[in-house]
Amino acid sequence: MPPFQLVWRNLTKRKARFLLTAGSLAIAIFLLCLLRSLVVALEAGVKAAAADRLIVQSKVSLFVYLPQAYGTKIAAVEGVERVMRWNWFGGYYQDQGNFFAQFACDQDELQAIYPEIQLVDGSWDDFQRDRQACIVGEATASKYGFKVGDSVPIIGALFPKTDGTTWDFRVAGIYKSTKKNVDDATLFFHYKYLENALDSGEGSGPAGVGIFVVKMSPGADRTEVMSRIDAMFEQGPQVVQTTTEAEFQAQFVSMIGNVPLFVSSIGGGVMVAILLAALNTMLMAAREQTRDIGVLKALGFGDGVVAGVLLWQSLALCAFGGGAGILLAASTEDSVARMLGTVFPGYEVTAGTLWSAAGATLLVGLVAGVGPALRARGLSVIDALRRTG
Amino acid sequence: MALVPLSYNLRSLVVRRSATLLTVLGIGATVAVLAGVLALQQGFATLFVENGRDDVVVFLRQGSTNEGDSVFSLERAQILMKTLPDIERPIDGPPLVSAEMYLAVRREKVGGGETNVPIRGVQQGTFRILGDDIRVVEGRAFAPGTDEVVVGSKLADRIADCRVGDTLVLNTTPFRVVGMFDHPGPFKSEIWGDRDRLAEALERPVFNRVIAKLKDGVDLGELKERMESDPQVPCKVMTEREYLGSQTTAFSFVLRVLGAFLAAIMGVAAVFTATNTMLAALAARTNEIGILLSLGFKPWAIFASFLFESLVLGLLGGIVGCLMALPLNGVDTGAMNFQTFTEVAFAFRVTPQVMVVAVCFSLALGLLGGALPALRAASLRPTQALRRD
Amino acid sequence: MGALIQLRGLVKVYTRGGETLRVLDGLDLDLEAGGFYALMGPSGSGKTTLLNLVGGLDRADEGRIVVDGEDIAAMTGPELAEWRAEKVGFVFQGFNLIPVLTAQENVELPLLLTRLSRGQRKEHAKSALELVGLGDRRSHRPSQLSGGQEQRVAIARALVSDPMLVLADEPTGDLDRKSADDVLALLRLLNEKYGKTILMVTHDHAAAQQARTIVHLDKGGRLGRIEAVR
Repeated sequence: MPPFQLVWRNLTKRKARFLLTAGSLAIAIFLLCLLRSLVVALEAGVKAAAADRLIVQSKVSLFVYLPQAYGTKIAAVEGVERVMRWNWFGGYYQDQGNFFAQFACDQDELQAIYPEIQLVDGSWDDFQRDRQACIVGEATASKYGFKVGDSVPIIGALFPKTDGTTWDFRVAGIYKSTKKNVDDATLFFHYKYLENALDSGEGSGPAGVGIFVVKMSPGADRTEVMSRIDAMFEQGPQVVQTTTEAEFQAQFVSMIGNVPLFVSSIGGGVMVAILLAALNTMLMAAREQTRDIGVLKALGFGDGVVAGVLLWQSLALCAFGGGAGILLAASTEDSVARMLGTVFPGYEVTAGTLWSAAGATLLVGLVAGVGPALRARGLSVIDALRRTG
Repeated sequence: MALVPLSYNLRSLVVRRSATLLTVLGIGATVAVLAGVLALQQGFATLFVENGRDDVVVFLRQGSTNEGDSVFSLERAQILMKTLPDIERPIDGPPLVSAEMYLAVRREKVGGGETNVPIRGVQQGTFRILGDDIRVVEGRAFAPGTDEVVVGSKLADRIADCRVGDTLVLNTTPFRVVGMFDHPGPFKSEIWGDRDRLAEALERPVFNRVIAKLKDGVDLGELKERMESDPQVPCKVMTEREYLGSQTTAFSFVLRVLGAFLAAIMGVAAVFTATNTMLAALAARTNEIGILLSLGFKPWAIFASFLFESLVLGLLGGIVGCLMALPLNGVDTGAMNFQTFTEVAFAFRVTPQVMVVAVCFSLALGLLGGALPALRAASLRPTQALRRD
Repeated sequence: MGALIQLRGLVKVYTRGGETLRVLDGLDLDLEAGGFYALMGPSGSGKTTLLNLVGGLDRADEGRIVVDGEDIAAMTGPELAEWRAEKVGFVFQGFNLIPVLTAQENVELPLLLTRLSRGQRKEHAKSALELVGLGDRRSHRPSQLSGGQEQRVAIARALVSDPMLVLADEPTGDLDRKSADDVLALLRLLNEKYGKTILMVTHDHAAAQQARTIVHLDKGGRLGRIEAVR
């Protein structure tokens, strides 16, 4: 039986060194979990997209608006059950740094097309009846202290009020989303409210509809419906591109740039740094244990067993440090999510992230331990005993 | 004032080769990541800021932050262009003023996926104002009033259908690419065409900005104030350089924060590695320290000696890190400018500034890593030190 | 019934800095079972080398080393390790205890190579420590023991798996007179009461007098005279 008690004793013999190495491992693994969670959050919206929702947008640009008349035409397409107008409002609350999304949409369709939006306070009826009403996501509501009945003043950047005042919305409901494709940070208000303001001159800004959100009839063929809608507007005045909700969200992710590449390079750099730290420690430890290695071999422990002790030391060190990092990532999930807040909703430390962190830890342990282990294996007893350590 | 000879430290570093190497590499990896992120930021910022002109002035709609938001109706733009007295109007030619349309258009990338490319509809005045900054490097300039466009030099290899001779379809109208142009700044990531033709094709009968060259001696500050409260066409006025500078703030800020964050986390791991190495050096040289003390060297000299050694480690790490980051210099990359949501192509710039920051950082790492061991070394008593085997 | 240890034509060559040294040059030697041999000779006479070869810690360049009927010079590395665990106990000049383990754990170490259960290992180690008079120091670490005590723990370790052969390399070299006497008395006990064959390298004449036979080696690794002590 291999002398396992040596593994732990040797590691903890020099407490400062052990803690320093384990500490840097913990921090690095925590960082890796953080990075991966950010990527996962970006992709989560895409993965959770509803299969029966389609987005009709301008083929030309995100910033081009579609004619109002398109709405009724789309509704008449076979396979379309409901249609909703949807405009990015692009305003801010008090300060430009206070960011959360606002959308103008057809209030009578919102609940039906987005069943994920569940009210936790207030009522849909109230929202639908009052032209100036809005519903706000839980996260934003708690961050700024909005309650049902409050009036929320939004400064219009894309749609300024002609007289320079704020757009005021009355909170009729607070919602929570049941899936990851809709976040808990958005403010929804009536499309008609915006439309009337633009018509009357009270507000100014681009005319037209940003996108149309379509809910397909059950059993409709998705590809068919998409091509029917595209074909209908092929000749203009504005050419459209109908995509699935997943594709629509993916386009935003890919526009941010080559995030996977960027994150991988950083992750790679971090891995190299901790590998070097672990290797440094293991080599130091191995050198100090040279005489012990000789003793074990003299006593009759085989080369492989002795090498194993050193490899296990490396694995144990990494398990300790990496484990601490994983615990740190898991336990700070809520605080980090709160910090990222409404700017980057959807932060979550998934089991997948934790498992890959464990894998990375294992890898570092193996790579850092293999050198010292091989050296121990090949060391001759006489040479080892001759060293004064 | 006896200092421990520096050669002693340098030789000690060489003798403990593997530990020195691992620590230097660890610090180097950290520094390289920091330098990489900073080089990205520098590349982005210098593209914009360095190439903005002080003698060209930009007019945007009041309340907007970038030309994407800013919208002038045709009427207002004409009023501005025809009546503003500060614009230079040469006797022997048209006034040096031009109105432009700007839209971020969705195009396919050469390798797959989509991105947003800026399309700028310009009047001939733009070419008169910018002069030699715009150079046609292939083909020719587009003829005014035709469905022709020229593409910036950075686009040909990255965006589909952007080679001279290709046809770009915008909405329902085909445009022929008749030439490629170069510009020292961000314009080389744009597609330019005749403003009137583009406006019609895209159904966008508005201007986004007006640019002009002002008469000599115009007080820019006074003009800014005057235009802010102009009754007919209230607008924001700034030099092109100021405008481009304002476009980089968000992204630069994000990159700087990212760089600092990464550097801090990886820095901790690097410091731990350095401390470990120096502690091991201390343990191995306890006897030597005892000898030095008994010879008459003061404790602070020992402290300084150890600190010097870890500073050397830091410096070497910094140099290695810079060397690792240098190959990035000039490498082309692209990033999303969040403010206009368009992709900008630029190159990494490993500037002297970046390297200075990197080396200072690595010296700080060396200093932090060596502080504790140096303190321990200095507090050894001669009898203690000499007794150790 | 031949001798327990038979060495025939033993050659060991060292290369150092370009020079080759024939430390052992065709040595022939017989060592009987139950004997207590002291190996003496000037430095460079190869006495430690001889000890290492007999213990399977080093390999001969030429010759045969037959121990209890087996030619260990022909064994592979793993075979030698197994053989050592079963047949040999070592006592070194520098004690060579593992500093992170207690005395008890150090003595138990060789037993990990056997099939004994945990409880059995503890019992054996305890008895061995009591035999060398250190039963009450079981939980001490080597740094908490005196030199003499450390060496006695090493002896306990050397005998715990009941080897037939005990090899000691300058066992009293780092000890004061009193401790040295204690250690030599223990070795005599192992030999006379427990029948172990002991081979001890020493340059201390007083220590050599505790053995029963002194084997002298000349410089150049040749066998000198063999004198009986008691």
